[in-house]
Amino acid sequence: VKTMLELQNNQLVFNFPEVHENARLTINFQRTLRIPDDGKRYPLPPGLGNFPMKHIDDHRNRIPKEWLKRGGVMIPMYQSEALWIHFSSNYASNRSHAYPFAIKVATGKVSAITGEKWEKGLNKKDYVIAPEQPWLDGYVVEKNMIRQFVATPLGMGFTAEEQITKKAEFGGIQIEVFPMKREIFEKRFPVLPPPQYSGGGIIRGFSMPGVYTMSLNTISCNASMGMAPGGMMTQQIFDDPYNFEDWDTKYHDRCFVHLMNSMTWRAVTGENPPITPTTSAEYERRGLPWFDFYNDDLKALDGTKKLKGLKSVAKMEKKKNVKILPENQSVKPGKIINLSGKNQVRDGKWV
Amino acid sequence: VDFKNFGDYIRELREAKRSKDRSFSVRGLAKKLKIQASYLSRLESGSAPPPSNEVIRKFAIELKTEASVLMFLAGRIPEDLIPFIKKRPSFFNELIEQVKDLPEQAVLRVVREVRDGKW
Repeated sequence: VKTMLELQNNQLVFNFPEVHENARLTINFQRTLRIPDDGKRYPLPPGLGNFPMKHIDDHRNRIPKEWLKRGGVMIPMYQSEALWIHFSSNYASNRSHAYPFAIKVATGKVSAITGEKWEKGLNKKDYVIAPEQPWLDGYVVEKNMIRQFVATPLGMGFTAEEQITKKAEFGGIQIEVFPMKREIFEKRFPVLPPPQYSGGGIIRGFSMPGVYTMSLNTISCNASMGMAPGGMMTQQIFDDPYNFEDWDTKYHDRCFVHLMNSMTWRAVTGENPPITPTTSAEYERRGLPWFDFYNDDLKALDGTKKLKGLKSVAKMEKKKNVKILPENQSVKPGKIINLSGKNQVRDGKWV
Repeated sequence: VDFKNFGDYIRELREAKRSKDRSFSVRGLAKKLKIQASYLSRLESGSAPPPSNEVIRKFAIELKTEASVLMFLAGRIPEDLIPFIKKRPSFFNELIEQVKDLPEQAVLRVVREVRDGKW
């Protein structure tokens, strides 16, 4: 088995058994608040749990033919719902570091890191790295600033794909994963003598009963959704601290994550999609926390002109004179939990 | 190939039960199954071929084991599996070919990969 990609508990699990027994990366898609798209910068919103995820092959008679051709998995999203992507690489108890991966992320086959069209293989400055980068919330528009991933129907002109390529062809999210070469991992992070190191993920999520509201935003029921740039958020997207040659480009695996309109999800799968998360304003009114995470030891990527030039959903609404966001009330985050530094909570999610 | 015989298997199960419950002697179990004790002895020793499916199901109930496992040991396919196998005979053939020599722990979990397509 060269590489293996499985869907387990609503998560994508990339395994590279031929590279290293520790080479396992889990990726999930977190439900979250849509931050206001008002020109202000916001801290990181919480994780409100994984989106449900299904093999598209299990619903082959009810999904668009194009999806079937592309393979992969699907998740339900409401129009104007946001998400963030959580990367969690495998910690072995006897190593000082989780297994490193280079991860390409695109929406509508346009890189969320560079704004360039999807290309085969690994290209410099066009990937994030795990475990250093625990999550990605949006398009890298500037150094330390992203624009949040917000789902919009494909074909309305809002998505990053449509803004950059002028076509509404792919939608969805595309992920490709490259592990570090075995010999480099062994050299950089050798087996430690006992007592064993205990590592873990960083918590940025919790379950909050009662902070959900029903969706009011159902303008379009197109099955296919794409990602558009939403509000601005402070987030460092780290440059690769390793050598480009450290990545094993012989072994890689990829996945097309289709975004199905939640209104269609029930008809296709027979299951109810999750109800939409609460609004940022309601979240803040309840005094719930936002998050901050930075690492000054790592260099952050600059944004690219292409991504900086994207128009946010709110701007596009004005330009097109179409209403997509059900609400967009500014908020002033009060409680911000800093997850950076050496005292970060490390007994979190184990995968 | 190292495999268990139907007779060995039921004798092991019966003797394990008998160590806690004396009614699981050859005579006692034969009575529960409504068969001759001499026939049960011949089944256990392998000198008689495995019994009918109906008797196998009775064995499973009395010895608290899976009827399907006893059917396999008797060299038969359990009736309830036949429709599934008939529906996809090549698939089952390939499946068995692929896993027949693998250690059990390697195949106990069904691994399903996410299919990648053209994009």
